Amino acid sequence: MPRTLVIGFGNIDRADDGAAFAVINTLRRRLGRPPLGEGETGWEETGGDLDTVFLHQLTPETAEYLVAYRRIVFVDAHVLENAPEIHTFPVTPDFEPAAFTHHLTPAMMLGLLKALYGAEPEGRVVSIRGYDFDFRRGLSPRTGELAAKAAELILGLVENPVQG
Amino acid sequence: MASRKITIEPVTRIEGHGRVTIYVNDQGEVEESFFHVDEFRGLEKFCEGRLYFEMPQITQRICGICPVSHHLAAAKACDAVARVEIPRPAKLLRELMHMGQLVQSHGMHFFHLAAPDLLLGFDADPATRNVVGIIKANPELALKAVALRRYGQRIIERLGGKRVHPNFAVVGGVNAPLSPKDRDEILADHAEALATTRTAVDIAKGWIEANQETVSAFASFPSCYMGLVDHEGGLHMYDGEIRVKGADGKLLAQFRPEYYLAHVAEHVESWSFLKFPYLRKAGWPQGTYRVGPLGRLNVVDKIGTPLAQEEFLRFRQINGGKPVEGSLYYHYARLIETVYALERITQLLDDRDILSTDVCAPAPAAKIPGQGVGVIEAPRGTLFHDYSTDEDGRLTRVNLIVATGNNNWAMNTASGLVARAFVNGNRLTEGMLNRVEAAIRCYDPCLSCATHALGKMPLEITLVGPDGTVLDRISR
Repeated sequence: MPRTLVIGFGNIDRADDGAAFAVINTLRRRLGRPPLGEGETGWEETGGDLDTVFLHQLTPETAEYLVAYRRIVFVDAHVLENAPEIHTFPVTPDFEPAAFTHHLTPAMMLGLLKALYGAEPEGRVVSIRGYDFDFRRGLSPRTGELAAKAAELILGLVENPVQG
Repeated sequence: MASRKITIEPVTRIEGHGRVTIYVNDQGEVEESFFHVDEFRGLEKFCEGRLYFEMPQITQRICGICPVSHHLAAAKACDAVARVEIPRPAKLLRELMHMGQLVQSHGMHFFHLAAPDLLLGFDADPATRNVVGIIKANPELALKAVALRRYGQRIIERLGGKRVHPNFAVVGGVNAPLSPKDRDEILADHAEALATTRTAVDIAKGWIEANQETVSAFASFPSCYMGLVDHEGGLHMYDGEIRVKGADGKLLAQFRPEYYLAHVAEHVESWSFLKFPYLRKAGWPQGTYRVGPLGRLNVVDKIGTPLAQEEFLRFRQINGGKPVEGSLYYHYARLIETVYALERITQLLDDRDILSTDVCAPAPAAKIPGQGVGVIEAPRGTLFHDYSTDEDGRLTRVNLIVATGNNNWAMNTASGLVARAFVNGNRLTEGMLNRVEAAIRCYDPCLSCATHALGKMPLEITLVGPDGTVLDRISR
């Protein structure tokens, strides 16, 4: 298996925006690892063939950690009405002009990796439909169900990429 | 006269969504322009009922980019609620973390958001007018820029245990001292960070010199200015009194942060969810002010570190000693502050108290009905946290005025001026729209860092005719 990083991002105080946190912790349990606590990223425990981390958002210096991986799965919530509730697709390097934000998208992250280090890991996004982005902890019932399914999907993806 | 509408919706998020609506008449001339931002009031309600000492952890989740500012402003407000005076070493360590935040945030803004316009041009192909274009143009500088941001982040990490959402400032101080090893490691990488920043200063100055006409005219307008000053009137990012100067540079007010409500009022417009703060005594709209790097450098008398002071003296000459009005000068001011932050880091690390273990005052009384205000200069400007509690320490009222809110009027004015100067409704170009965005970008607004769900809403400009018909649309 190519060295793989599953990187979730979102805000656990904004309901379904924290969907990736649930996905990452489900994965970690399945892999026999302790779930991340509030505020933990998991970076300290990386170094294996399949690492799992959770961040608030993607920022440029994250690139220096990602350069060590040959495959990266980005996990996020989505609000796309015309996409499947679990929306997965390959992502390739791309960089758009940043309007106001310091935050990077997965494609921009890969673009930065390529431009800075010449690294071109295989990229994939797994996004889970969010329905509630209010100021509260915990997922809506439907997004909670989707998060559990997404974790299983990611396990399948990393074990057999062809299925993705 | 009938008018048509152009709307720019550049933000890809759900909450904190910002957009620009430009109204043009039949001749394609801009009649009016509005910058709309959603508000963070939801967070204030979310906090009510929570225990006050949780706030340094809760409020920093407003943003993944400037969490330290909210973390520290909240801690200061909690100190005030609990009526505790924090030990000097704790103040030094909080300020050290704040300087790390300033370096990473300002560095990120310049290289990621500002430099593409400055180095590649407002009209450059959007496909290359970004940080990757910068990397291609100057890969060595790009790597140094990433290292600069990492340097600031690692200061935060060393003190707070992690780069984002640190657990460090608590009521009465901080929860851990600085180790000699961490101090030495921060110092070891310092020279490179400072060199990169000075290179950026030279880039900005060179661009300003070469584009003097644009810089002087682009989103340049009079306003009041606000920022914290120390007891000598010098720049201070963590503590001090709030000073407000008028458009002519004369002092309008100087007050302790806890009295902010006596000096700051908020105006409401029907077309925006975000209020418009202004200096009460000057009235609306004469009392509208700008915060952030330009606001700060326009109110201080000096900067207490040598290299930054040298640049500050040059900055002051731009308008003959009077306030500098051009929005693009924010970029220069931002870099001067980054130099200051880096120099201040060495001042703090050289302080005899920096390794002290006396970093937290005794626990406050259990019953503490009260009110407390914490104010800090966030990278984007003055940030107010104001809490009231019941006797069990549960929050009964939370009022946050964030830097982006303080600059609301300024961003609206800046984008409107640029729209009038560059947008022609009969001939839309991406470069015109980028200039409108660039006017707002000068202020480095933090509009939407609370959620990050995927749900692409492209930058879109729509021309709508008097009868509601869409006449033209461009997006990216």
